Amino acid sequence: MEELNWWEKERKRSLVNEMKYMIPEILLLRGLREENPRLWNVSFPFHFGLYLMLGTFVLLFIGAGSMILGVPVAPGKSLIPSFLYYLTILVGFIGLTLGTVGSAALLHRRFRDPELKNYSGFADYLNLFLFLIFFAISLLAWLFHDHAFDGARAYVYSLLTFGGSPEGRAIERSFLGLLTIGLASLLVAYIPLTHMSHMFMKYFIYHSVRWEDDPNLKGSKIEAAILRNLRFKPTWSASHIGADGQKTWAEIATSGPPVKK
Amino acid sequence: MLKPSDISKPSKRLGHLEPGQLFPLPPPYEDFNQVTISDWPAGKAAHIETSLDDTVAIGIPKPLNKEEEEKYLHAFLSGLQKLFEKKNNWAFLQPLLLSLEHCAKCQTCSEACPVYEMSGRQEIYRPTFRSDVVRRIYQKYVKPFGKISAKLTGDIDLKWPTIARLAELAYRCTLCRRCASVCPVGVDNALITHEVRKLFSQEMGIAPKEIHDKGSVQQLRVGSTTGMNPNAAKDSIEFIQEEMEEITGYKMEIPWDKQGAEVLLLHNAGEVLSWPENVGAFAIIFQAAGISWTLSSEEMGYDVVNYGLWYDDVQMARVAVKHAQIAKRLKVKKIIIGECGHAHKALTVIADRVLAGDLNIPRESAFVLLDEIVRSGKLKLDPSKNDFPITLHDPCNIVRAMGIVEPQRRILRKIAPKFREMSPHGVENYCCGGGSGFAIMSSFNFAEWRTLISSRKKFLQILDAFKDEPLEVPKYVCAPCSNCKGSIRDILEYYQAKKRSHIYYGGLVELIVNAMADMKKPMIKFDEG
Repeated sequence: MEELNWWEKERKRSLVNEMKYMIPEILLLRGLREENPRLWNVSFPFHFGLYLMLGTFVLLFIGAGSMILGVPVAPGKSLIPSFLYYLTILVGFIGLTLGTVGSAALLHRRFRDPELKNYSGFADYLNLFLFLIFFAISLLAWLFHDHAFDGARAYVYSLLTFGGSPEGRAIERSFLGLLTIGLASLLVAYIPLTHMSHMFMKYFIYHSVRWEDDPNLKGSKIEAAILRNLRFKPTWSASHIGADGQKTWAEIATSGPPVKK
Repeated sequence: MLKPSDISKPSKRLGHLEPGQLFPLPPPYEDFNQVTISDWPAGKAAHIETSLDDTVAIGIPKPLNKEEEEKYLHAFLSGLQKLFEKKNNWAFLQPLLLSLEHCAKCQTCSEACPVYEMSGRQEIYRPTFRSDVVRRIYQKYVKPFGKISAKLTGDIDLKWPTIARLAELAYRCTLCRRCASVCPVGVDNALITHEVRKLFSQEMGIAPKEIHDKGSVQQLRVGSTTGMNPNAAKDSIEFIQEEMEEITGYKMEIPWDKQGAEVLLLHNAGEVLSWPENVGAFAIIFQAAGISWTLSSEEMGYDVVNYGLWYDDVQMARVAVKHAQIAKRLKVKKIIIGECGHAHKALTVIADRVLAGDLNIPRESAFVLLDEIVRSGKLKLDPSKNDFPITLHDPCNIVRAMGIVEPQRRILRKIAPKFREMSPHGVENYCCGGGSGFAIMSSFNFAEWRTLISSRKKFLQILDAFKDEPLEVPKYVCAPCSNCKGSIRDILEYYQAKKRSHIYYGGLVELIVNAMADMKKPMIKFDEG
């Protein structure tokens, strides 16, 4: 709209520019770092830890798939399985540590800071508490039982093979390991029901709220949608609207407010 | 510290400002630092709802009995349901739902809100306070199993004080959307506020009289929110024409109702009454640049304001349709919107989701055409005529909502050697404090609330932009928007800034004409203010 006769100009779109904005925004919480650095200090470890845990799950799936294909994921083997083995440990360890520290710090901040506390309901604490328990238990499971995530990979293997176990490894799960599996399943089922999904939803909110500016050009899909919507029959009750449930938006918008008698 | 659920609690006033609580002003304005909002005379507000804070925007009559209270509550819940129905709210339903469902309650928005900051961080003015009240009511009364889940997500009691205060609270936010621009998630608190205003207006017929009865209703009835009918508008502009002939020294032609002109210029009629030089300056520039243009003398064709933008989708659509119909009848190629920020947003951005078919006539900001004219060399310009300190106020609706940032700056860089930016500016600007109708609302002591709180940040920005200039040097705040000009006029008067710091204000076109080399008289005269 800064250009003369903007409606005649070609609209420039760049997926690259969009990615250049959204990737740091989602991964590094750039907006929060700039506008609210005090909260970023605790929010970033939590979110990044969560992303790394998602990355760990992806690596475990790849590892389990590799084992199904007969290529064991272990140190000292060929380059790629060895790399996968060490990368899973690195990403998983950092993810669990950051997640534990971040969720504990966020929970603490939400309890202590009146700015956050007064706007938090039980569910806000519960969400963070579930994450903290998951991260902490998983970290303990890693520390005491599963340094190399072999047990976790074997679990994914069993999922993919409907109960099978990797060659030479009996299914034997520790209490902490079982708890980790239970908590992870709970989180996967529960989180989409809460506002914690904002970390992924922000991609859509940015597009639908902040950036939505596609013009309504003649003959466009937007114009067709508007013409459809103008046929809705509103039921707003204030007298100046003049809605009776029969008149359409188009009829109401092209008439003046009813004259008061 | 107040919590959102406290909105339901009985008390005389939920928020109150003590002297010294407002954000401090620098020298030579420290004497205003102990000033607070004055109380209204006893008895004046006895029959209206005043339990939110120290001012009143709407003045809802108190219910006379329990039955009337129940009626209000029933109507509120009915309107609330309608906000979430596609047939009633197809334009804003999706962003409203996203904004209500995904707030992370991080309070990043609070730091961006000038009303919250300048009020000395009054909890009721925090952007999330209002939104969280709405969110809790929505979760409890609209979502399935809400009364059970409210115990987990945050409960709220829905009583008369809740809705009466919420209605008033919707008019303590200028809808500047600065909060939305910094939200890490993309939540739009101003949109939530806007939807609350809609609920009260469209379902319950509750809105400030300045923007409804004397605003959009009057505009649709007589042709202008100023009350001017077509004859009065023509007479006023003929008078302006004579004034401009004195400045230019040549015969001015202001074309009326010219069929087939390239451009239909729509002014805010407030300019005609309060800042006639703005209307005249446009005419001088367009004539000198050889633009094929016209004004319309049809009802509403001489007043581009659209107050519905702030509180009522139906009124907004009605006014936008009228403007488009006038342009269609005149067979113009495009509508140019003069120096009026909210009209920019209403007629370009929001009406873009209403106007279809042959009513979808292209609409453009005057800044873009003016930039083109100045760059084309059609005007002989002498920037030394504007050799005084100038700063630019960015109207929120033009920069943040539409992304029009550079054209007005290119003009100023060309015609104003002492132009300097405010900090921050562009899409990060601060509202003048008069946004969303506040500039024209003055019932009870609301104008005082605006000047002391919502316009305070702008005043600080203006002082900061000129801080290196001697107090006695005349300075100019370029405010290319009628409502912004009104607010800035009021703050400069209230704080005696003309007397103390020699700060004046005006529009953009006045500066362009003032820089035109062949004018007989200057357009801007500081001694006359």
